[in-house]
Amino acid sequence: MNQNFDIKIGNRIAKVRIINENDNLVDIEVDGKLYKIDIIPVDAGYSIIYNNKSYNVEIIESENSKELVVNTMHHSFDVDIVDAEYRYIESRLKAKMLEGSNIISSPMPGRVVKILVSEGQEVELGQPVIIVSAMKMDSEYKSGKNGKVKQIHVKEGDVINGHQPLITIE
Amino acid sequence: MINKILIANRGEIAVRIIRTCKEMNIKTVAVYSDADRDSMHVRYADEAIHIGASPSNESYLIKEKIIEATKKTKAEAIHPGYGFLSENAEFARKVRQSGIIFIGPSSHSISTMGDKIIARQTAIKAGIPVVPGTTSPITSIKEAIKVSKDIGFPLIIKASAGGGGKGMRLVEKEEDLENMLRLAKGEAMASFGDDSLYIEKYITSPHHIEFQILADKYGNVIHLCERECSIQRRHQKVLEESPSPHITPELRKVMGEAAVAIAKAVDYEGAGTVEFLVDDVGNYYFLEMNTRLQVEHPITEHVIGLDLVKEQIRIADGQVLPYSQEDIRQQGHAIECRICAEDPENNFMPDPGLILHITEPLGFGVRTDTYVYKGYRIPIYYDPLISKLIVWGRTRKDAINRMKRALYEYKISGIKTSIPFLLRILDVPDFIDGKYDTHFIPKNEELLFPKDVEINSKTEDIAIIAAYYHHYCKINKIRRISIVEKTHDYWKNYGRRKNSIRI
Repeated sequence: MNQNFDIKIGNRIAKVRIINENDNLVDIEVDGKLYKIDIIPVDAGYSIIYNNKSYNVEIIESENSKELVVNTMHHSFDVDIVDAEYRYIESRLKAKMLEGSNIISSPMPGRVVKILVSEGQEVELGQPVIIVSAMKMDSEYKSGKNGKVKQIHVKEGDVINGHQPLITIE
Repeated sequence: MINKILIANRGEIAVRIIRTCKEMNIKTVAVYSDADRDSMHVRYADEAIHIGASPSNESYLIKEKIIEATKKTKAEAIHPGYGFLSENAEFARKVRQSGIIFIGPSSHSISTMGDKIIARQTAIKAGIPVVPGTTSPITSIKEAIKVSKDIGFPLIIKASAGGGGKGMRLVEKEEDLENMLRLAKGEAMASFGDDSLYIEKYITSPHHIEFQILADKYGNVIHLCERECSIQRRHQKVLEESPSPHITPELRKVMGEAAVAIAKAVDYEGAGTVEFLVDDVGNYYFLEMNTRLQVEHPITEHVIGLDLVKEQIRIADGQVLPYSQEDIRQQGHAIECRICAEDPENNFMPDPGLILHITEPLGFGVRTDTYVYKGYRIPIYYDPLISKLIVWGRTRKDAINRMKRALYEYKISGIKTSIPFLLRILDVPDFIDGKYDTHFIPKNEELLFPKDVEINSKTEDIAIIAAYYHHYCKINKIRRISIVEKTHDYWKNYGRRKNSIRI
């Protein structure tokens, strides 16, 4: 059985291994601590009984299935599956950030209201470059450094996705 | 009786209005923009008419398109909901000119209350207190000093063209007045190109309290008591409750009568809301009147026991109000939480997107007014309000505990929502004690925006176990049969058996 992955939750990367498995009765170790649990799939998640305590856990997969939202009664956790692919992508991202290319994007989807700069223009750190509107709220995005506008990837009126490159500054 | 109503709105309020229509055996017509083809109000209504492109100024705000859709579907009345065209006097007039019933007040009432200065004068004429201050711009320092003597300190200087706090100055004592006037004037000129200023009494510890009123076509007006709306973030209400912990029975009676007097002064008809500012010692001042259904109307419905949309429709239909003021009693306590698609950890940035999964709270005393469902993509064009969670309890304490339970049960995945923030509000001692005003959120910032949220490590381990097990089964292609599927198999077996027996 492939158990070659870890679980990232917040800043914690937990080492987990299944020691023993007998239908719904599972012995599982989390960072060295052994849990003997009874786990069954239900609706959108799992019902877990541990030490006679009942936990109803909901698991929601994102589109790529390696980012999960795990809901317990009182908390919601964003969880990443840390496998070889994850580690590779992360190391590439780090390298890219060090390179110092500055791509401006919005964390949420919306509509481009106004582009405040043009290609080739010099910009300063903190200078507003684009305004994106979502749900009746306008948000201004600023340049993260001194530089020159290399490319504008969108035009005014465009509907954009979250994390889509909008403007590249070099 | 009205047989068919067109709802000139979208989102949760359109769905909420259709619900009542169904109970009254009234046919419903939904209108929708490009982005709303798969919206719940379109699916839930009897008929649906496309009215234009996604931005609301190309669809929901175009009066002619709404009226045309009403004629086309032979609907006899239009319910405007809240927002969009609900407080547009010209729309109300055009609707009526087309021979269609507008479920709301006359365009005269709408325009009188829509103009803040005329509304203020109307209140003064009706003998209702307003926030003391000048109605026309201050022309000299001398005049300002004279006015300040009348209204007293502290006072606030505001720019006539103002907004966003620019040109606003709080003045605590007379010595500071001249200097502050000069500063405000400069700021107003720089910000708005207009340096006219006016002066208002500064209400320390203001409470935002509003009264629901109902008025029929025959001059009968009653009030349905108050809603406490002081918990606000950037002038947006976040959580409302009724009754208000700040209002005494005596004050309720006096303010209720004032609300009725205001409604009568503009020949009001339908459901409306009179908003007041109330200070710590119970002085109240008329603020404005909203000539439509409010977002937070459900808390009144639960405490009073009336369906406000049903009352609106009956009034528009020309029926006499069947209740008198003596029939109105507040029973128990209701709270509403506004659940928005926004990220409270990231300065409340809107977070539209795909709803991956949703689990709604159920049980005694719990109501959700919503329009989103699993697999629905929240459009970027409209309000971030996705759901209102309303609870009722015998006492305020019961209602708070029930709201906490319901918020914990409410799981919306795929987007960020304000649920965690709402839960923190319910834990703030000032809220639990019912001792709060409109400064609640800034005052309790540390409790509401904690730096580190401590999580029980065992709960975290359980979440890790579930995630690990889930992925483990997936990549190793272990297919664990869920209870639901097992049940399905029983039925399949039963069906197969039955078929073979029949053969």
